[in-house]
Amino acid sequence: MSLFLGPMRQHIPGKKELTEKSELLHLMPKKEVYIPLVAGRTLDFDILVEEGDTVSVGTKLAETKSGFYVPIYSSVSGTYKGIVKRMHNSLRPQNHMVIECDFKQTKVQSFAPLDWQSATRQECVDFVKNAGIVGLGGAGFPTYVKYMKPDGVDYVLINAVECEPYITADYRSVMDDAKDLVTGAKIMKKMAEAKTVYICIKESHPDLIEKVKSVLTDAAGVEVRPVPDVYPMGWERVLVREVLHKEYGGLPAEAGAIIGNASSAIAIAKAFEKGEAITQKNLTVSGECVKDPHNVCVPVGMPVSEIIEACGGYTQDTVRLISGGPMMGKTIVNDMFVVDRAMNALTVLPAANDDAIACLRCGKCSDHCPSGLQPVRITAALKANDVDEMSKRGVMSCIECGMCTYICPSHIDVTENVRKAKRIVMLKKK
Amino acid sequence: MKFTFHVSPSIKNNLSTQRIMKELSLSLLVVFAAAVIYYASAWGASAALHCVLLLACSLITTFVCESIFAKIMKKDVKTFLKSSFGWVTAIILTLMVPVNMSCYAVIIATVFAIVLAKLLFGGFGQNIFNPAAVGRAVILQAFTGVSVGLISQATPTTVIASTYHWLPSNATVLDSFLSQYGGFAGLALGTYPGSIGETFSILILIIGVLLAVRQIIDWRVPVVYLGTIFVLTAVVAAITGIDSYHGIPAVIWYPLLHLLTGGVIFGAVFMLTDPVTSPTSASGRVVFAMGAAILTTLVRLKANLPEGCLYSILLMNMFTPWIESYFDGKQLELVKKSRIVCACLALIGLAISFYAASSIQKVDAVPETAAVVETVEVTL
Repeated sequence: MSLFLGPMRQHIPGKKELTEKSELLHLMPKKEVYIPLVAGRTLDFDILVEEGDTVSVGTKLAETKSGFYVPIYSSVSGTYKGIVKRMHNSLRPQNHMVIECDFKQTKVQSFAPLDWQSATRQECVDFVKNAGIVGLGGAGFPTYVKYMKPDGVDYVLINAVECEPYITADYRSVMDDAKDLVTGAKIMKKMAEAKTVYICIKESHPDLIEKVKSVLTDAAGVEVRPVPDVYPMGWERVLVREVLHKEYGGLPAEAGAIIGNASSAIAIAKAFEKGEAITQKNLTVSGECVKDPHNVCVPVGMPVSEIIEACGGYTQDTVRLISGGPMMGKTIVNDMFVVDRAMNALTVLPAANDDAIACLRCGKCSDHCPSGLQPVRITAALKANDVDEMSKRGVMSCIECGMCTYICPSHIDVTENVRKAKRIVMLKKK
Repeated sequence: MKFTFHVSPSIKNNLSTQRIMKELSLSLLVVFAAAVIYYASAWGASAALHCVLLLACSLITTFVCESIFAKIMKKDVKTFLKSSFGWVTAIILTLMVPVNMSCYAVIIATVFAIVLAKLLFGGFGQNIFNPAAVGRAVILQAFTGVSVGLISQATPTTVIASTYHWLPSNATVLDSFLSQYGGFAGLALGTYPGSIGETFSILILIIGVLLAVRQIIDWRVPVVYLGTIFVLTAVVAAITGIDSYHGIPAVIWYPLLHLLTGGVIFGAVFMLTDPVTSPTSASGRVVFAMGAAILTTLVRLKANLPEGCLYSILLMNMFTPWIESYFDGKQLELVKKSRIVCACLALIGLAISFYAASSIQKVDAVPETAAVVETVEVTL
């Protein structure tokens, strides 16, 4: 409680009980997978296989031609059938590589494993780059980039917070692969040349904290750090604020920290020890409008419609299907898109009705904004169409976490107003 | 199968504006019920019925005004009334009027509050001035002296302002004042006639704590407002060197006397916290509450009016847009600026305390008129 600042966060009912205790379902597509040729903003790929080629799980299919280097691996064994354009979860039509499954799931080692303890720091970073490890928390940013210049970095924070409601995919992954998480933590510590790694877990998950602590033997400098059950605890800035009590301008490295996702740490461990690339994805399928909420493990590129079908289908005729969690996930108006590597959930909610009334100027949006912005004032500038005021009021620091809309008692889509202001400011800059 | 679209995020908190207004209305009705019970037991059924009648007049006037406005604006009357929350203004206004006020005065005040102060600005969320405060100011300016003659006892603010200059300086003088209202306990419990709902200090404070915990009001506003008044009046007590009261030092009893007399506690919990007419940021609200506290103290000690709470609210309402734009930007970067502004305000406040302390005549002896005030004067 500060006199001049609001709480800048808020507890949101997690609804985690829908899925967290259920067993992990391993699913296979009916016929084909469609592996998206998308790596962040890069859409430009070299295709490394010919149409009709037989591929195995882990065969390298493509790599980026420009931008950050990201390779793409096959998630199933079968036959490569060529490229089709279809809807991607970024809401745009993108190229997807079609692979017809042979349902044998024969595996090849994607690359040779590496003994991280004897390798140099630089060898480890290069290995992560070539393995195509990307941030699995949602952004899909290539992991190696963060470790290129680790000057002055003392801490690595591993984000196992999972602050989005409904999602328990990371919980499931960490529960099942706690040892890999700790190995990944040690590798990240080495790559960052950090003193301490904090594995951040919500204090409302004591079972998970115990589980990770139980495998923390001979891991000097790796600690479990319980954090409060509030949203958006998993955002870098809030995590650094909570754990290190620091604020920073652009990147967390300014506060001496690198943040990595728990699933990414597990993926790193599997890459180093087994030579496995990211081909499977743990996904939470949850929400009030899916019949049988579950955590599922699916090959990258599996169509969403088939996943929903395996979870019992929809319970209502009209639903909102969200790629991701209910706070930051995107609502998509069909279920034809496929699972991408950075996706961690499908949330199916009942259709919403618009019941907004006038703003009562309560200031709850400003009190709870984790960036310390004042969404109500940004909205005022938007309504006055005053571009200078919009940028002066810090609109570009908005991460669209959705807190302002969530907290608004008048049910106004505040986040959407801020988003519009952001778009206007960006257009003006160009 | 139909997929609907909605911009993210897709879930909402269950604290709605409707619930905020409902809890606020219930809290105000609890205070009103306390008033009815007190007046019924101490002054008889007719006084209690008069309170109910005043509330009914105000509520009916509100609904009539808002319905006509909705018709003129070609809006659905029921939805308009539901999302305009006019009844909250009506209840607050009724709680602020003296119990002897006549019904026609309350009706006219309500018309001013609802139509001029709220609807003409564009309705709920758009008004600059606190509508209930505007209504109360109309009564204060236009209907002073109107009385239905149900109760005859002067309110403490009138007495302390006119006969004690807000500065009784020893235990004997203070006793002669307090004995009319049942001592400090009487002031705290509100067992004396005055404005219908403003007297029940302890009850209002308890409700205030509950509302703050339930996030209906922001704790900063009442805490900063009452805290600033306490500090400023304690400074006055220290400078003037008034006596202790039965062992309680003057820097404690004198500020308490200020807090328990008149409408500051009611104003702090129900008026200044009105979100529509106060700034939206935490920093802004702190500055807003501090400014109101300084104005309240100044008006009480140095102005012609017996009470300052009402005008401090209306004056600070005018500053709200300015405070808002002054604290625009990223709040983390504004903390330093907020501290500086508050420090400046604190200096102004202290200067006012020094000025008041050095220029007010202390009342050392029991004034002769103290016990023979006959009619209730209209005060705040």
